[in-house]
Formats: sequence, C-alpha cells, structure tokens
Amino acid sequence: MGIKIALAGNPNSGKTTLFNDLTGSRQYVGNWPGVTVEKKEGKLKGAEYKDVVIQDLPGIYSLSPYTLEEVVSRTYLVTEKPDAIINIVDGTNIERNLYLTTQLLELNIPMVVALNMMDLVRKNGDTVNVKALSEALGCEVVELSALKGEGTDALIKRAVDAAKAGKTSQSREVLSGNVKAAVDKIAEIIGSASDSKFLRFNAIKAFERDEKAIEGLNLSSSQKDQIEKVIAETEKSMDDDSESIITNERYNYITGVTAKAVKKGRAKGELSVSDKIDRIVTNRVLGLPIFAVVMFLIYAIAMGGWSVSIGTAATDFTNDVIFGEWVPGFFDALLGVFGVVEGSVLYGLIQDGIVAGVGAVIGFVPQMLVLFLLLAILEDIGYMARVAFVMDRIFRQFGLSGKAFIPCLVATGCGVPGVMASRTIENERDRKMTLMTTTFMPCGAKLPIIGLIAGAVFGGSPWIAASAYFIGIGSIVLSGIILKKFKAFAGIPAPFVMELPAYHIPSVSGVLRATWERGWSFIKRAGSVIVISSVIIWFLSAFGTVNGHFGLVDNLFEDESIVTESYINELADRMDVPAEDVNAMDASLLASVGNGVSFVFKPLGFGNWKPTVATVTGLVAKEEVVGTFGVLYNYDDSEEELGEEGEGIWPRVAEDYTPIAAFSFMIFNLLCAPCFAAIGAIKREMNNAKWTWAAIGYMTGWAYVLALIVYQLGGLFVGEVAFGIGTVVGAIFLAALLYLLFRKGYQATEADKNLNAVKANA
Amino acid sequence: MMPLSLSDVGQMVVIQKISGNDEVKLHLAELGFVVGEEISIVNKNGGNLIVNVKDSRIALDRNLANRIYI
Repeated sequence: MGIKIALAGNPNSGKTTLFNDLTGSRQYVGNWPGVTVEKKEGKLKGAEYKDVVIQDLPGIYSLSPYTLEEVVSRTYLVTEKPDAIINIVDGTNIERNLYLTTQLLELNIPMVVALNMMDLVRKNGDTVNVKALSEALGCEVVELSALKGEGTDALIKRAVDAAKAGKTSQSREVLSGNVKAAVDKIAEIIGSASDSKFLRFNAIKAFERDEKAIEGLNLSSSQKDQIEKVIAETEKSMDDDSESIITNERYNYITGVTAKAVKKGRAKGELSVSDKIDRIVTNRVLGLPIFAVVMFLIYAIAMGGWSVSIGTAATDFTNDVIFGEWVPGFFDALLGVFGVVEGSVLYGLIQDGIVAGVGAVIGFVPQMLVLFLLLAILEDIGYMARVAFVMDRIFRQFGLSGKAFIPCLVATGCGVPGVMASRTIENERDRKMTLMTTTFMPCGAKLPIIGLIAGAVFGGSPWIAASAYFIGIGSIVLSGIILKKFKAFAGIPAPFVMELPAYHIPSVSGVLRATWERGWSFIKRAGSVIVISSVIIWFLSAFGTVNGHFGLVDNLFEDESIVTESYINELADRMDVPAEDVNAMDASLLASVGNGVSFVFKPLGFGNWKPTVATVTGLVAKEEVVGTFGVLYNYDDSEEELGEEGEGIWPRVAEDYTPIAAFSFMIFNLLCAPCFAAIGAIKREMNNAKWTWAAIGYMTGWAYVLALIVYQLGGLFVGEVAFGIGTVVGAIFLAALLYLLFRKGYQATEADKNLNAVKANA
Repeated sequence: MMPLSLSDVGQMVVIQKISGNDEVKLHLAELGFVVGEEISIVNKNGGNLIVNVKDSRIALDRNLANRIYI
C-alpha cells in the first residue's frame, strides 16, 4: 500500500524547494507568496521509498482559506487525509508559522515539523532549541535547509516512520480557561455526529462558526441551537467574537512555546538589510521610477538595439548565421546526397516549409531566453511582491488591486502561468477582470511578432518593443477603468494585504533552471506544433489552382501557356496586389481561403491574405505568426536568396506594409485572443463557458477597436491613409471609448463591495 | 488610540483594537495582527504601509491601516 505525505506550510516557506529536492521534479519556485497555485504529486526518490508519494500544496496561513489557491490545500488536508504531514515552518518567522502548526496538529494526522531556513536563522543570530520546541508542541521537529539540501534525509526518514506507525502527536492544550470549557461542551453536543478522531477539530471549527465544517456534520437544529448558545455566552463573557477568541488563544499558546525554545538575535523592530532596501525600492517618490527603469532595462537587454542588448545580438547571430547559412546549407547538401532536387515537392516541404517556418521562430529563442533569465532573477530576488505594493497605490485609483499586477508580470514570460496566478486575488470580480486582461501583456511568444515588425519596418527601433509593453499595460488599465463601470465588475477592490518576503541573492542553479524550463518549452513547441503548422501552411501555400490547372503553383507558374497575362491581371485584381508583384503563391489554396476572410482586417490596414492567415495561425501559438510569415514570404526562388529566413524576409515584409499598417497589425496580434493554451487556462480559471467567451470576445474586440483607431486616425495624421468612411468609424470608436472611460458608471451598493472569490467558487 | 497609519516609521507600537468584522479581519489575525501584538512600520508609501509583525513584513493599503488602532 502506498504512503501519502503532504507538504503543508505558510506561503513562501520553501515547500516547493523541498518537494523538488525530495522527488527530483522541477516545479517552479519563486520568491513571492502564491507561486504554487495547484497541488502537485511526485514519487519520493530512493529505492527504499518507492511506494511513497509526496504532495506539494499551495501555501496557506491557516485552515480557513482566504484566497482560492488556499482552498486546494484545505480540501486536501481535511477531506483527503494524507498518511502524514510534513509541516514546513520558516525558522526566521517561527511565531507566525506556528499558527498553522497548531491547527494542523488538531487534524490528528501523524506530523513532523520541518524547521526550514536554519542557515538564515543562524546567520541572523537566532537560536532554536529543537528539543524544547518538540517537547512543547508534542510532535517531532527536524532542522532543515531545503535550499542547501541539508537535513532532508533525516526529515524524510522521520516522516515515513511516522506515517507507517500511524502515531499522532501527543496533543498539547492550546486553549485555556473559559474557551477550553466552551469547546469541550460543544464537543459533547456534537458527540457521535463526528468521527471521534476529528471531534476536537470539528468542535473548534463549530465554535468559530465555520459553515463548511458545520454543514459536513449534519447536526440537528437543536444541536445547532445549543452550540450557538455556548458560543454566544463565551463571546459575551470574553467581549470578543468567537474567531478572534480562538486566534488569540492560539497566539498566547505560541508565545508560551517560543518563550521556551527560541532566542532572537535581533531586537524586535530592528531594521534588516531587506528593510533598508525596501525603504528605497518602495519609496513613495522613487518606487515607480525604479520599477520603470527595471522593466526598461529588461527589455533593453533582451530586445533593444544597443551594445548591451545581448539578446538581440544572439538572435541576429541565430538568424543570419545558423538559420541563414548553416541549417539551409546543411539541408541543401543533405537533400543533394539523396538526389532530391530543388523544385520537387520534398525539397519545397523541407526548405520552404519546415526550415523556413521553424527557423523564423527558433531565431527568437535567444531573445526569449535572455528575457526569461532576467524575469527569473527578478522573481527570485523577491521584487515581485514589492511591485504589487508600489503599483497598488496607482491601480487603486482605477479601481484595481495591486495584486492584479503580479499575474501581469508573470504573463510577460508566459500567459498560462499568468492566468493561473490570478488565483491569489481575493475579490471574485477583480479576479475575473484580471483573467480577461492579463494576456494583453506581450508574452515571450509575442516577442517574435514585435521583433519582426520592429526589425522589418522600423529599423530595429527599441521604442517598438517598449511601446508594445506600454500598450499591454495601458490596455489593462483602460480596460480596468471601463469594465469597473459595468455592474458585473463594480465595487471597490479587496483590501491589499500581502506578505513581502525577505530579499535574497538569487541562486544561480535555480534561475538557470527556471530559464531553461521555460525556454525549452518554446523549443519543444518549435519542434512539434510549429513544425506541423508550418507543414500545413506550406502545403496550402504550395498547391493551388492556376488558371484551372491544379498542382504545385510554383511549377504551374513557369508554364507560359497556363499563366497568361489576362490571368495575372485577374489574379492581381482578386488578391488586391499590383500586377507586377503577383507571384505563384497568390494562386495557392491558402491565398484563396485567406483572401475570403481578409476583408475583416481591411479597416485595420492589413486586409491582405498573408497577414490574415498569420493572425489566425497565431491562435495555435503566437510565435507561429512569425513562422507563417517565414513560409509565406520565402517565395523568391532565385538560388542565393533561398534559405535566408530570419532577416531575409524583412525587405519583402517592409515592402508590403506601411509603418502604420504594420503597427496596427502588431497591436491587433498582441491584444487579440491569446493562443489556445492560454484560452484553455482562462476557461479552467473562469470555470464557466459564458465568461470564457466573454473574455475572448472582449480581448478580440478591444484589439480590433484599438488597431482600427490607430490605423485610421493615426494613418490620417501621418498622411498614409486618406479621409474616408474608415476615418468616421475610427472617430466614432474613439468617441465611444472616451465615453466608456469617463462616464459615471454603475455605483456599487454596499452588497456589491466585497465578493470573496473563495465564497463565490464554493 | 489612533489609527496605525498615523504612527511614525520605526516606532514600536502595540495594537489596541482592530475594527470591522469580516474575513479580512480574520486574515489579518492569521498574519499576526492581534490585539496586544507589538509591531512597527518599516516604510510608508502614500498611506500604504509595510509593517513588521512577528518578524514578517506585511504590506497593507491605507484603508486597512486605518482599521488598526494603536
């Protein structure tokens, strides 16, 4: 029979670090509360433990959940009952951490306390008497430094032994006097309605008026009345509400425990190094500029056009040399050996389809890796929670909580974890709104789109990348203001309460691992999804009907008897391109399909079949937008040009788009419905089909309106677009947007104010 | 008694009362904000506070800081 051991503890206490160490898995670790939002299972390493399963749980402050991810932990601990619990206690913050410990002990499950971060405890000059602590708590305590891997062997041995023995800790009395008497009385009233093992736990929960726990007991109404009478009497005599009474009892007990076992090296209230950093970083005046500089530096290093921009340098190398010369050259030689000649289907499939499509995407991997590395460092240092704090003051003016900023920051790496990070938002309306807007942020996969447009049309200007970032944030803030005025989202955001973890120097291995994990998933996608969609795109773009003859369009186009001048003119007319620019691909299947839909994007300035197809393939994965461009603009069949994928297509792209149309294309693709993976994540978090569609519809609508305004009005302004019906529509859209922004909107009633996400999803 | 937001940075103060009665109050209690607890303000940012409570640093917005009396 297998043994299940659960890791439970406060947020940011090192559960996932320990989990990775114990199971050899590579779950994501970060230095901010709420990194883990789902439970994860893993097999314990080591031959002697092969039937032991470890369960990593989201961090919780208590067994009364406050945010959605905490519900996962409580449900698991209370209803699924692991064979043993490893309670991770942050040694630098013992008192607060022991609060949860006192609750876990009441569950009557075998438990070992792992006193984590002992290296820091010693560094701070604190001492913990483990024996005295263990004696006072009535359960085993093991010292641990999960980050350094010290003490894990001893810990796991004790935990497995405890699970096998099934021996629960000797209960110590947490409650005292009147409260103890009241809880004992309630236990008597509940009696056989509860499993005797959990009687104590249920009695305390009933005293706290915990609806969920009471419901599970199926008490008669007379029992409920008796309990309520006991609670009311105690509340009256103690002059406090029952929940606060229990909280105070727990803390009194903990103070007693720590007085015996813990000696602090530092005087209470003394400033730590972290505090001194916070004085500057979260300063009222400096906080925002510091954040702006940090984000600008990250994008400058990853994507800018300066000498510090190592990301751009590496990407240029990949595009020009690796995918410009080496790879196509290699395949040329290889195909030559097998006698595959240029112009054949197989040659086209490999060189124009796979190499061009995948190459266009892989070229951006170095930039992504640099971006991921910098974001991982930012998360590991502990800056994320500070950003939320600094932004809260600004966001609150627009009716948003600063906590909504963490999902946005995470989404600059990838939208899927960004969407999941919304679980830490307490208010249900704010959570839904965050789900609808988080993927506006330019994620790693959107970088290639930005890179392509900036490189091909704007001469590599770093301001394009910076503007993409601000368009993302701006869209989130403006959407916040607009949506908050509708009844479905009205109400003030939940109060901002958040623990700020101490800063620490990022661990090299941890940061590199996080970077690699994220980068690798992109490379894997390039090797699977992108290959497949590139092949499909190539097939559809290589075959078609030329003047009534079906086949490879390239070959058919060389036949003068088929391609007549009148046909060229007709095709040019149909595809809306100048006759001298018509090429074989315009006759392809893909062109006719794309052309059928492209009218939708005409008002946005890119109503041509190529960008239309690219936009649609962006749903598969955003980097596929560029992959599609790689295939579709790789049409010139003169010998020396074939194979230059990355920058090779830039001049052709530049020819096809005016700057304003290219910018409009970028805006639409950055903001419209995210890739299928992110849509799936939104659907899971919304847990409601209607809301999921509303989210996708809103994002696409927003993207369309913004791109249209930019193209029509911006184009008119710079003289690229003539005045016409589009200008009028653009002006109407702009006016409507301004109206929605500045109208008075629905006034929240008292009842609307605080819709808790935990209750809403119960 | 005065709201915590009026206290100075670095000064040790004792919580006298936490007003209101909702899940936020319970959450604050779980984080260590209980009557009788000695706390200090690490930094202020336009009314929002970073508070040192039980050796952890908790960020609070202005409205919440006004509910804690010292």
